[in-house]
Amino acid sequence: MLMEAELQSQVAFHLTGRRPAAGLDAVDALALRPALLARYRDLAALRYDYPLLLVEDGERVQALSGVFDRLLQGIAQGEHAERVTRHVLRQERQLRRLLAEGATGSLSTLWDAAAERLGLHGDEVLRDSLTRARAALKLDGPLLDCNAAMPETLLTHVWRGVQKAKAARFRATVGRLIQELSDILRADFNRSDAGRSAQNLKASIGEQHAELFDFGVMSRLLTKAEPESTLPEGRRARLRELLSVLESQRFYSAVGPSGKAEVAYPFVYPSCVAALSAYGERLPQLRSVARAIAVAELEVAGEFREARHSALFDNYGADGLDPADEALFPDYLVCINARELDAAESSTLTEILSAGLPMKVLVQADDILDESTLPGAHLGFGLKSRQLAHTAIGLNDVFVLQSASSNLFQFREPLRRGLAYAGPALFSVFSGATATTGDLPAYLCAAAAMDSRAFPAFTYDPSAGPDWASRFDLQANPEVDRDWPTHRYAYEDEAHQRVGLHLDFTPIDFVACDGRYARHFARVARADWASNMQGVGEYLARGEAGALENVPCLLMVGPDDCLHKVIVDEKLLREARRCREMWHSLQELGGIRNSHAERLLARERAAAEQRAEPATPAPAAAPEAVAAAAAPAPGPQADAQASSDEAYIETPRCTSCNECTGINPKMFAYNENKQAYVADVSAGTYAQLVEAAESCQVSIIHPGKPHNPDEPDLPELMRRAAAFQS
Amino acid sequence: MTEITLAKPVARQPRQGRATPGKKAAVTLKEHVVEIISDSGEGAQRCGQALGAIAARMGNGVWTVEIIPAEIRPPARSVAGASGNRIRLGTRQVTNGGDETDLVVAFNEQVLLGRVRAGELKPGCIILLESMWRDDADPKVADSYTETYERLVASGYNVYEVPMERECRAVAVDARRGKNMFALGMLCSIYSLELQLAREQIALTFGKKAAAVVKTNVTLLDAGYAWAEGNLDFKYSIPAVQASEPQIVVNGNTALALGVLASGMEICAMYPITPATSASHYLSDVFEKVGGVVHQAEDEIAACAFAIGASYASKCTVTITSGPGYSLKQEAIGLAVMAEIPLVVVNVQRGGPSTGQPTKAEQGDLFTAMFGSHGDAPKVVLAAATIEDCFYSIITARRIAETFNMVVVVLSDANLATSQTPFPRPQFSDAWVAPPIDQSPIPPGAKPYDWDEQTGLARRFIPGQANGMHTVTGLAHDRLSHVAYDSESNEQGLRARSLKLAALARTLTAPPLFGADEGDLLIIGWGSTKGTIEEAVERARAEGAKVASMHLRFLQPLPPGIKEAMSRFRKVMTIEGNWSDRPEEELIDETNRRYSALAMLLRARYLVDVDCWSQVRGAPIKPATLCQVIRDKIATLGQPR
Amino acid sequence: MSTATTECMIRLYEERHQLEDYQSGVPRWCSGCGDNAILAAVQRLCRDEQLRPEKTVFVSGIGCSSRFPHYMKTYGFHGIHGRALPIAEGVRMARPDLHVFVNTGDGDCCSIGAAHWIHALRYNMNITVFLHDNQIYGLTKMQASPTSPKGLKSNTTPHGAYLDALNPLTVTLGVQNVSFVAQTVDWIPEIVYDVVKAAFHHKGLSFVRIVQRCPEWLPTLLEPWLHDPLKVKLLHHEAGLAISPSLAKVYKNQERHDPADLDRARAVASSIDPIPVGILYRNPDVPCYEDLRGFGELRSTARIRAGLEAEFDKFTVWPQGSQGTPGHAT
Repeated sequence: MLMEAELQSQVAFHLTGRRPAAGLDAVDALALRPALLARYRDLAALRYDYPLLLVEDGERVQALSGVFDRLLQGIAQGEHAERVTRHVLRQERQLRRLLAEGATGSLSTLWDAAAERLGLHGDEVLRDSLTRARAALKLDGPLLDCNAAMPETLLTHVWRGVQKAKAARFRATVGRLIQELSDILRADFNRSDAGRSAQNLKASIGEQHAELFDFGVMSRLLTKAEPESTLPEGRRARLRELLSVLESQRFYSAVGPSGKAEVAYPFVYPSCVAALSAYGERLPQLRSVARAIAVAELEVAGEFREARHSALFDNYGADGLDPADEALFPDYLVCINARELDAAESSTLTEILSAGLPMKVLVQADDILDESTLPGAHLGFGLKSRQLAHTAIGLNDVFVLQSASSNLFQFREPLRRGLAYAGPALFSVFSGATATTGDLPAYLCAAAAMDSRAFPAFTYDPSAGPDWASRFDLQANPEVDRDWPTHRYAYEDEAHQRVGLHLDFTPIDFVACDGRYARHFARVARADWASNMQGVGEYLARGEAGALENVPCLLMVGPDDCLHKVIVDEKLLREARRCREMWHSLQELGGIRNSHAERLLARERAAAEQRAEPATPAPAAAPEAVAAAAAPAPGPQADAQASSDEAYIETPRCTSCNECTGINPKMFAYNENKQAYVADVSAGTYAQLVEAAESCQVSIIHPGKPHNPDEPDLPELMRRAAAFQS
Repeated sequence: MTEITLAKPVARQPRQGRATPGKKAAVTLKEHVVEIISDSGEGAQRCGQALGAIAARMGNGVWTVEIIPAEIRPPARSVAGASGNRIRLGTRQVTNGGDETDLVVAFNEQVLLGRVRAGELKPGCIILLESMWRDDADPKVADSYTETYERLVASGYNVYEVPMERECRAVAVDARRGKNMFALGMLCSIYSLELQLAREQIALTFGKKAAAVVKTNVTLLDAGYAWAEGNLDFKYSIPAVQASEPQIVVNGNTALALGVLASGMEICAMYPITPATSASHYLSDVFEKVGGVVHQAEDEIAACAFAIGASYASKCTVTITSGPGYSLKQEAIGLAVMAEIPLVVVNVQRGGPSTGQPTKAEQGDLFTAMFGSHGDAPKVVLAAATIEDCFYSIITARRIAETFNMVVVVLSDANLATSQTPFPRPQFSDAWVAPPIDQSPIPPGAKPYDWDEQTGLARRFIPGQANGMHTVTGLAHDRLSHVAYDSESNEQGLRARSLKLAALARTLTAPPLFGADEGDLLIIGWGSTKGTIEEAVERARAEGAKVASMHLRFLQPLPPGIKEAMSRFRKVMTIEGNWSDRPEEELIDETNRRYSALAMLLRARYLVDVDCWSQVRGAPIKPATLCQVIRDKIATLGQPR
Repeated sequence: MSTATTECMIRLYEERHQLEDYQSGVPRWCSGCGDNAILAAVQRLCRDEQLRPEKTVFVSGIGCSSRFPHYMKTYGFHGIHGRALPIAEGVRMARPDLHVFVNTGDGDCCSIGAAHWIHALRYNMNITVFLHDNQIYGLTKMQASPTSPKGLKSNTTPHGAYLDALNPLTVTLGVQNVSFVAQTVDWIPEIVYDVVKAAFHHKGLSFVRIVQRCPEWLPTLLEPWLHDPLKVKLLHHEAGLAISPSLAKVYKNQERHDPADLDRARAVASSIDPIPVGILYRNPDVPCYEDLRGFGELRSTARIRAGLEAEFDKFTVWPQGSQGTPGHAT
């Protein structure tokens, strides 16, 4: 039973954040970690997504563990399987260590270093295992651990892959156009008198046959026989101009045989400002190349009509090119750190995104717990960088990806999509490489930020569909439909009894890793543990009411693996609640617990309950035949005619056989589909009408009643016509 | 060649004549004809080709002819099964297969018999004969060997028995398959060819295979060389003039295919037929690499129609065939003529009529080529005279076809198709390649058949050209390509199509004379006989005969200057590989004699009493035979008035 | 590549072709000839699809039907008897950018050109083929054709045709690689048009048999079918033709037939009375021969030069001491 005094001081600390002299200890010195993170002290021993292998060909990305798994599938067979597996996995762990210690390099180089460390010498068996593995290892490329440098390196790698594909597409298109354009010119020259000159004719025959001909005579005969008819000078000039534009373009390395060997432009920039100015400088070239491609396509298809098109193309792209136009050209890649986001940079960034320029921007935050400059204000965790992503989404046609670095490998596909997206893309990444988190690896720090909802991961892909449901995706986050993810946690109490419980992972856990916020925590001596100490998760779930009975506390573990309970002050909890609010709004965007939907649902349910009888099943589709039979009659005017005395033709059934039009082309004519109708009854005699009706093989001509009562043998004609009156 | 007798007759040789080993004075020859023959699969072919290549690299003139068994898989040791090569080596360029064989390497006596019966071996010819059969387990084999051997010796052949297999077994495992390289070694020794070149050649031939294979073969080569050095009492050398330019060695059909590549044609439509097919085989292999297509159609007619369709819509195309196929294409060819669609038709002539002699050489299709297809169907006929010509003829043909909108028939024959000789590696020129098709709009008022009054030429409209829409038709048509029901338009069309030949004729130059500009006898030939004729003329002139020759590449239209040239000789005679009635026949006289095609043509065209001599024996005419013909002919002329 | 903007421009500025733009001359067919109906439907197709006349080619053989190209103001190739298909194949192989049609008759296609017919189906090149089947040789004045009904009296069969008629549909459906088979009768213009259209849109060889009247030589042969709608069976399906209500009213004999069902197609095809009309078979997945042959590849002189030199290298004999020559075949 705890004494009143301790209880009070605990509550007091919770409410005020001020620690009394006795009873509660500062956590600074204790090197505690949230219980849920404690189990990951030795990360290198773990087979997780990192480090990554950036495969050189095709710019693919693979997790080291994945690479090794596939490797083992290949070599771990037969009697040695078990041994080889063991050794190779040791090698993998060794590689992890190396990287964690900051080593860099390609898999092949690090492999040897790691092998050295394993003590390859003197251990023949180990050597054997590794030799097999090394031989079977076909992939190579830089290894990349999850650290501050990772996001930029990874993104650049994938970007390069996307650009390669683009380059291939561009070269194919422009290569084809260049040849087809020069073909037009060659064909033209060939028809010109110059093309039919003696020496030109001579060149087209092998020397061994040259003496068979008198090319002078041939040239004379040909030029005389067929007067020169060449392309209009205007068009020839246009073709030449198109060629020179396409051959001298600098967005990719030169295309085409006579492609000028100018160096291609760079497209990776350290700042939005630099990228934007480069873009501005090149815009004229961009326009002229895009224009040249468009015009060339028309020209080679023989569809370019000077009168119509030149006006249009003269100010081509003057008011901006749409992303589709630019899709063929390289995208700019800008990687900046949130730290460097000064006013100029931010405004440029917004400008780029809102203008829909073909730029891919990585904004990397290393610290999302930076304290506000205003004393006593909100702490505003992660707000700045999160805000960025939210604004971008607001722009509607920007591809947005937010993620902690720990999740980037899982996000490799969205990454590629974003880089391939025709338009601007923003990648907002928290690296986890925060200076103030002690020995906590960046990977864990990042993972903590994401799992605690302090920095949720999501993608917004405008190309995925017209609506939020298809564009916005939140699924990467753990237990996405709950406030916090829960984890089972078990420990041994002093009675050596195994205690199991569920812990929510909240922003408090995340913040607890950061030394700067130690003052918001206070460790409770084991002696003073009491029933009123409540898990942060529960505490938050319970809402504001009755704060006084309980104090929120966090389970933490020290280097000695002993469990500690740490009280959290209200100020932090407020931040946690704000995180939760923001998480909720994200959830709504993601269609989880969508308030509108839920209300709608509620109303429907109510309505349904009122209706006693169950809903009737949808009517089965009627069989075609029935439908066809039930179809409406040919159409009112046709019926009207049928009943009238006017001559008419069932035009849709006419087989264009020329019988009636042959009899009287004025009386019978063809419509736009070359099917006959009665054009002018008065243009001929009733006799002709009847004759036409009789000669019509599909009997669709109906003579009606005669117009001219004085026409000879009317009775006879009407008798014959009767057969067609219906 | 008198030199041959220098080799001691084998009768006075102990078996496996190990007479005077060591140093031998190499007898210098102007030329020699060598054969390597075996059962198929024993690699005589490869040996022969290697020998040819080595000699060529040393600068010798070389002419190689494949000896191909009639059947695909003849039984071993059969008379009909001879497979191998016939190589004529010379000091200067060699332009034909030459006369009978001077030296044979035979892997068994049966295949040898085949050649003897064909009368291909020169009397006293040297024979290097595999001797293993003498001790064969099967008494029948052993007996037939000894019997044949005796008969050969008796009939004066200079037979050397060579234990090839035994010697090979000493250095290699699979002796039977290695024999050919052993033989190559012997021949290198006999003709004093550089062993090093031979080794390189082997490295080339087996280059793709493992180094071990190369090594084995080189070992065998050396063994053969050593054996010949040690055991044969004769040795020759054929002085060579070092070639400074790279040369390519291909047969006529490969040359045709290469020509198709070089001409920039993009589609070849064909149907399998001997002896043309190997051209398409090779083309199928390489055409796609440059974006071309070889289409094997369902039949010869379809092949031609397909080619015409493609030609009509795009660049000129080619269809490759032989006699029977050529006959089948006639109606379609007539369509191309009528619609004035450029088309190249290659006819690799074989023995005819009907199925005739598929693998044998003949020049029997000249008239079909010129006059084939009903009605008046003027087309250009071009005959390749050499293997090199096969390459250039296609380039020329395509050019003519597209310039004059005509069908151009290129004639080759089985002789060119299966022979190889080096010729200078062509210097490719971009201008050979068919230009891109014209897709520019047709100027208003232009007509699809706006025949030029003088030349009959008209600009071709190609689908895709705006304002050019019209329907080409095999029916008589007017300038608008409308079906012509009136005789007037029909006549205009006939006139125009015919005039184009006259126009082309104007652009041709007079064919040069070989030997002299005047004299007693002028020989006129066409096609693959060029080399033989000129060699014969040269020999005859060396004997003092006043003879010259002229060789025609264009047969329709004929080039200018022929009549004038003929007037400078007392007698004109064509030499051809097609049938002509023998004047000595009882029933044959001036009124009914059927002359050879070209002779008949020249007589009709120039009203000159052109005589002819022809031979249709399937095998190429031999220069010696021709030389005799010339002597006899001149003899009949008597003294000049 | 054509960008959004470009497309808009073209759409905004392309010239519209009217029916007249595809009409050339006055057909010389007898009045009442079914060819007129086919011509009308095809000209309508050209207009509705806005085919560029200079990019469209009609290839034909010999016979009444084969006069067709002369009446189109497009490019045309009026070839020789039986060879329309191989000619068209050549055009197709040479030119990816053209629309290729073939008009052929029952004599042209099913008799003298039968070999090409079978193989054209095998090649499955992207060509639209119309078999104008009037079951008689018209131009040569009334001889029995392979599709003439047994017993038909003609100038070559005065006592009536001796053999049963060949059924073009069952033949076609029996050939490997067949990818589109449809049938129509010339006197239901709406169906002629719909079938022609479907055929045009199929990638591969689309074979359309049009049962066609010959007023000159066989004025009465098809009378019974003409006047009894029940003797025509309309095939309809979501994946095939949809039948308009007005048509459904007249032609009550209908079957729901899935064009993917080859076995059923063969069964349907073998019926002569009633005549099945509609799409019998369609398989968009059969590869086109031209695509298998690197159709429409970019061919440059540079590429030819490279290829040729590479081949020369294989056969080159280098003068002594020049082994190291570049391109030396090793």
